[in-house]
Parts: sequence; structure tokens; C-alpha cells
Amino acid sequence: MNYEQPELLDRLAAEYALGTLRGPARRRFERLCVQSSAARRTLHRWEDDWVHLSRGLAPVQPSAGVWTNVRRQLFGDVAAPPRRSRWRTWQLAAAAGLVAVALVVGLFVRQLVPPPLQTLAILGTDSAHPVWRLERRLPLAALRIEVVGAVPPAAGRSYELWALPRGQAPVSLGLLPAAGRAERTLSEPQRAALLAADKLAVSVEPAGGSPTGSPTGPIVIVTNVLAAG
Amino acid sequence: MHEPDSAELEALLARCATGDRAALETLYARVAPMLLAVLMRMLKRRDAAEDALQDVFVSVWQRARQFDPIRGRPLAWLVSMARYRAIDLQRAARPAVALSEVSTSAADLPWEAANEANDMLGTGALLLRCLEQIAAPQRHCLLLAYQEGLSHSEIARAVNEPLGTVKSWVRRSLLALRRCLES
Repeated sequence: MNYEQPELLDRLAAEYALGTLRGPARRRFERLCVQSSAARRTLHRWEDDWVHLSRGLAPVQPSAGVWTNVRRQLFGDVAAPPRRSRWRTWQLAAAAGLVAVALVVGLFVRQLVPPPLQTLAILGTDSAHPVWRLERRLPLAALRIEVVGAVPPAAGRSYELWALPRGQAPVSLGLLPAAGRAERTLSEPQRAALLAADKLAVSVEPAGGSPTGSPTGPIVIVTNVLAAG
Repeated sequence: MHEPDSAELEALLARCATGDRAALETLYARVAPMLLAVLMRMLKRRDAAEDALQDVFVSVWQRARQFDPIRGRPLAWLVSMARYRAIDLQRAARPAVALSEVSTSAADLPWEAANEANDMLGTGALLLRCLEQIAAPQRHCLLLAYQEGLSHSEIARAVNEPLGTVKSWVRRSLLALRRCLES
């Protein structure tokens, strides 16, 4: 498909914004938005037009727990236990199991409960299209990557994640998964680079990653590191 | 509905980008009720909608630096983020919406309310004028997609028309809409 055709781009953007572009086609358009400012501009125009239709709804006051959960997730400064809906019960099942074991077996087991995750960065385009969520386990021994808006790489290509330590060459943090989530242990050089980095970048590389140890393909995303230290 | 002021939202997003937590709280107070209304309309369940709202505000904080003031329209950015989150959640959690949960009559849709809100604000009038020029059955399909978050096949079931008909209605209506918006 020739995405450079303005009519086609407009149709895809319109159906993306409307919500009727689904499945792989939706993901393909998100990938296009990562790479093409024309696609982003076209999409933004539709988003700006459609937003007027959201104005007629009667506002609904959220439960107090929602804001508490936002704060806990971002800042970790709220002590109360999370109010989780049934919606995510399955996500908590594993953690709840660990707590039960800890109660029975005591401190030794409790130490096996993984340390909390802290969001490090959200990688995506400059609009409403997150692609990867990066979280770290304190004290920064492991990196967890979750694909939140799959943008599969072109055939024979991989997305590679780089830490950009101030004043130093980029250090590879490995390939980004195309789907699902991955957790990887960081090597000491990777850990040091990430601690010194204020930005992260994603480049398009040959499948399997950069052959040179430095980014060789186009850098498609540069983003700030959110969590300090 | 109280319409958050664009300049205020932009200023709050700019403060979020510098790590100002109070700005996020103010932003939440300003737009969360509107976004929750959008999410509940699409996800049908309050718990699912509130979980999505939480995800949206976590993303807003993390991506406030990426909001480009040149892009403008911070409300469109926020509403889009919420709608796209709902669409992605629907795929996993709401494989098919029961028809009873969907407003299938045009009168049930907040079309009039959107009209009134926009009349008061004097904005968005062009979109509404252009939508009015689209025949009612076709316009109804667009509204089911935008406001209820229905897919082509869900719309086809809701309006009892063949899938191919609905797809071409949507495609042609969007073309007509763009032409009208540019005229």
C-alpha cells in the first residue's frame, strides 16, 4: 500500500480516529505514525475535529480510589492498599499467592517478593500512541518491558533500545519485544549507562540487533527517562 | 458541561512535564470526569472505565513532555488517549457487546447534548453542521463508532445491515465529512 497517497492516508487516519480501524491494520497505522509526520498531522486533524462530539456527555465523577491508584503507580507515596477492580483480579492473583506464602513461611519467603516496579519511560510517538512501557525493578537490576501498543517492525528488522548517557556513546539495552512483555537482567555496563542516561532512544536495526554495537538504522524515538536516580 | 480551557490545560501539561505533581492533580480534577464519561460510554462497565482512566493519567504524566503545544488542542490529545486506550481494552475484554448495552436508536445518543454544548461554546459548530449533512442512518453509524466505540461488525449487528454496507457507509461518510470540513 502506498501510504504517501494523501487520500489513503486521510482514510486510514479518519478510521483510526473514529475507532473502526482495528486489528493488524490499526497497529500498522500506529507504526506509520511513528515514522511519518504527515500521518501524525492527518490523524491530529481528525482527532481535533472529532473531539467536539465528546462534549455532550454528562461528566462522571471518578471514585476516590482512581486518583489514589494513579499516585501510587507514579509516585509510590500512598500507603493504602490498592483498590483493584475485578477487572484486574487476575493480575493480582500471583502477588496475592506470594503474600499468603509469606504469611505462612515468614520473612525468608517475603524477601523473594520482587521489589516494586518503577516506570522508567513510555516509548511511542508524540501523540496518543504509547508503544512500549519500560519499568525497572529497584535497585535497577532488571528492566521490564511491556508492549502496550504493538508496532511490529518491518520484516527482517528489529527495534533496539539504547541508553543515552550524557556525554557518552549510546549503550544498547537490547531488543524491544514486538508483543507481550519481557523482563531482563541488566549487565553492569548497561546498569551504569542507564543510571547516567537522561534519555532513551529506539532505532530500527537489522533483525537480531545492531551489528556494530552502535545504532546503525534510523532513530525513531527519543524520550526522556522519567525516574531519576 | 464545564469545558476546560485550552490554555489552562496546556499550562497544566507544561507543568506536568517539569514534574509538578500538583499540576497533575489539578489536571485530573479538570478533565477526569469528562474522560470517565467517554470511557464508560465505550467500555460500559464502571470498573473497567476507571481502570482505563488510571492508565490514561499515568500515561499523561509520563508523556506530558511529548505534548507539543504546536499541535494545540490539549483536550483532543487527552480524549484521544482515553478513546484509544478503551479501544485496545475492548479487544481483550469485550469481544462482543450485547446489543442491549448499545444505544441503537439515534435519539439515545448524546447528539443533541453535543449540539447544545457546542452551541454554547461556539466551537465545533462546523463538525456538527457537516455531520448534519450526512443522511441519518449513515451518521448514526459514525456516532456508534465514535461514541460507543463499536467496530464495523458490531455496528452492522446494531443497525441490522450487512457488514459490507456499513463499511462503505462509514468510508463514504468520512469522505463527505472531510470535504465538508475543508469547504
